[in-house]
Amino acid sequence: MSANKHPLYAARKAWTLVPALVMTLAACAAPPPAAAPAAPAAEQPAAPAAEMSFWAKAAEPYKGVTIRGISESTPPSNYVKDVLAPAFEKETGIRVDFETTSWDQQYDKAIKDMEAGTGIYDFVYIEQDIIYSYLKNNYLTNLTQMLKDKPELASPDFDISKFTSFINYFKDPSTGDVYGIPMEAFVKVYVYRKDLFDDPEVQKAFKEKTGRDLKPATTFEEYAEIADFFTEWGKDKELWGTTVQAVTGHPASFYEFFETIAPSFGVYNWGISQDYRASVDKGGSLNGDKAKKALEFWVGQLKNAPPEATKSTWDEVAATFAAGRAAQGWIYGENVAWIASDPTRSKVVGKVGVALPPTAEGVIEEAKAGKGYIGYYDGGAFGIPVSSKNKEAALLWLQYIGQPAVQPEWAAKSARIVHTDTFNDPKVAEMDTQTNGYYTLLREQGPLFAGAPPFPFHAQLREVIAPFIYKAITGELSPSDALDQAAKAADEELVKLGYAK
Amino acid sequence: MQSPRTGWGLLAPTLIILAITGLLPFLYVVYVGFFDWNPFAATKDMVFAGVNNYRRLVFDNDFLQSLGRTLVFAVCAVASELVLGFLLAQTLTKEFPGKTFFRTVFALPLMVAPIAVGATWRLLTMPGLGPLPYYLDKLFGLNYNIGIFSDQATLTLVLMDIWHWTPFVTLVFLAGLISLPKEPFEQAQVDGANRWQIFRYLTVPMLMPIILTTVFIRMMDALRIVDEAWMLTNGGPGTSTLFIGIHIWRIVFPKTDYGYGSAMSLLVLYLTIVLCWLLFVAITSARQHEVEGMRG
Repeated sequence: MSANKHPLYAARKAWTLVPALVMTLAACAAPPPAAAPAAPAAEQPAAPAAEMSFWAKAAEPYKGVTIRGISESTPPSNYVKDVLAPAFEKETGIRVDFETTSWDQQYDKAIKDMEAGTGIYDFVYIEQDIIYSYLKNNYLTNLTQMLKDKPELASPDFDISKFTSFINYFKDPSTGDVYGIPMEAFVKVYVYRKDLFDDPEVQKAFKEKTGRDLKPATTFEEYAEIADFFTEWGKDKELWGTTVQAVTGHPASFYEFFETIAPSFGVYNWGISQDYRASVDKGGSLNGDKAKKALEFWVGQLKNAPPEATKSTWDEVAATFAAGRAAQGWIYGENVAWIASDPTRSKVVGKVGVALPPTAEGVIEEAKAGKGYIGYYDGGAFGIPVSSKNKEAALLWLQYIGQPAVQPEWAAKSARIVHTDTFNDPKVAEMDTQTNGYYTLLREQGPLFAGAPPFPFHAQLREVIAPFIYKAITGELSPSDALDQAAKAADEELVKLGYAK
Repeated sequence: MQSPRTGWGLLAPTLIILAITGLLPFLYVVYVGFFDWNPFAATKDMVFAGVNNYRRLVFDNDFLQSLGRTLVFAVCAVASELVLGFLLAQTLTKEFPGKTFFRTVFALPLMVAPIAVGATWRLLTMPGLGPLPYYLDKLFGLNYNIGIFSDQATLTLVLMDIWHWTPFVTLVFLAGLISLPKEPFEQAQVDGANRWQIFRYLTVPMLMPIILTTVFIRMMDALRIVDEAWMLTNGGPGTSTLFIGIHIWRIVFPKTDYGYGSAMSLLVLYLTIVLCWLLFVAITSARQHEVEGMRG
């Protein structure tokens, strides 16, 4: 008798089927997951019947097509994946296979695909800072031209003029044509524990220690003073004075310094001059006094940050603040909504205050005059690679996520706003109250912030400079030496890349 | 008897697949290594650079340092795994209560993917949040923070590698020890040899081919470490755990310096082959020595 026919084997085989059967029954009995297509669609505001028929009609030739996309796993992208993609599929019959992964992985995969022209992805995430590199290499499809060439695919509800000025980052400066549809835009904001700042006992203790009233910092001296105070005061409470996004080995620390801290000290565009020079003696300001003071301040705040600071990227910094482990800090705006409103993820719901980041003397004035900026206006868009094999279906999808009807819920859930009208929506107004005015700050003070400089060599230069920032964080180099060496290396790299002569 | 043509015909599919997936990419890397090529440079085109990329490598401190720290890591990790693996294998040749359970649990890390190992250790060692820093502080007052202290990060990576791969070494040694003939050991005991002499003059020489093969396999693995280190330390703090694999990845992908990255990959491949060859020679001569010893 062969082993396969033995009765014991048959019995064992039957037993192995039991868990599968149980799981199948459980799956049938279980309620549909929150992200199921029908539920999110119902959450969205009802769109006019004519508009609904447009998607179905325009998508008719592409029914059954699968479009593949990739993005960083962020609250706005996850909303797209969980809510908008299923709703689009239901509406059009076009399947959206959307991969949300880590920040570095999504770049890695998207760039490899576009460079090789393999056509794996039909839409890719374009963070504001990388658009210039993509445009230079002609990776992206001209969406303005495509809408002109294929009027039957142009949704009547999709209107470029409804977008905030953030869409300008995704236009070719020479032609004004659009290459990406913004799906997120937010500022990196100064957050503080409103409950602690408003607590009379804490205020009294702070006044006794410093002789000043406790209020959100507007200068770096005030910031450091508050950080010192809370670190001391919070010793037995698992509370520290500030967050610092100081992971070493990951570019997150580079970004916090060059996009948030350095500009607020008056060092713009990473300290690189218009003719692409970094060192002070060559006309740059990467190793100038302001930059050195900024790095000294920032690295100096590590003593007031929780121990996880040196392993913290943007995600961990948000998690630290949400866990109630820091009294103040700099947080990417996309995280503010959930930190302030989601009790399943945050211990500081209702306790979050937002304000403009502290700045050095004269920086606000420079920002108002359009000669500088006080911090980072971050965000991204979805674009269609030239190598995409399903451009038409992808164009419909991009318009779908760019239509007004989907914006308010998306904005309330993930603190991103790309349409001017979204600011006035009741859902956003309600969330504005919960976040103590984040959306108001974004609308009114947004112009004081700016995106990354228009460098076509963004990642290349970052990889050269970042190791010196890491060494400043660990104390291997002093802030001054780190920036001197970084500027020298940056100058050499810019010459090697052929941008500086 | 089958004709040679039939033999080649049967081999052909494998050879073609190997050529497409192995040989062609390799030749392409060799080709790219002779060019300056960065798609985000002012000139996107490939510019012939001769052997300049290789010349640069010799003076590239970052490259040489990452190579050096990879070697140090590999030697420390593999040496520790060999010693621990041997001791554990010896223990497992004896009977003791719960042996089967211990052997099963002990082998579990082997089944975990390197990236998951890195993630697990990251959670364990997360400053301020992980159990390891907490207990080291509570019990010994030790400020353990692998985000800031280079020596702690390196040591943690070595420990992680030991935790992950010692079971492999143990199982290989155990198989070797079990397969050794009993007679020479019994004879040595009768002749009055002590445990050290038996270990030194019988066990080690007889196990030498297995030891060297294990060193060979583990060294190759340790020199190629990327995923576990990437997950645990990202190459930090500073650049203290920026091993050669991560360094090459950074040059080729985020920096998109394809020409230089290709040259670097080839040099590392060359060094790895040299190391393999040295180990191969050592293994072959050990076997030769063993055979001659048995004849003698």
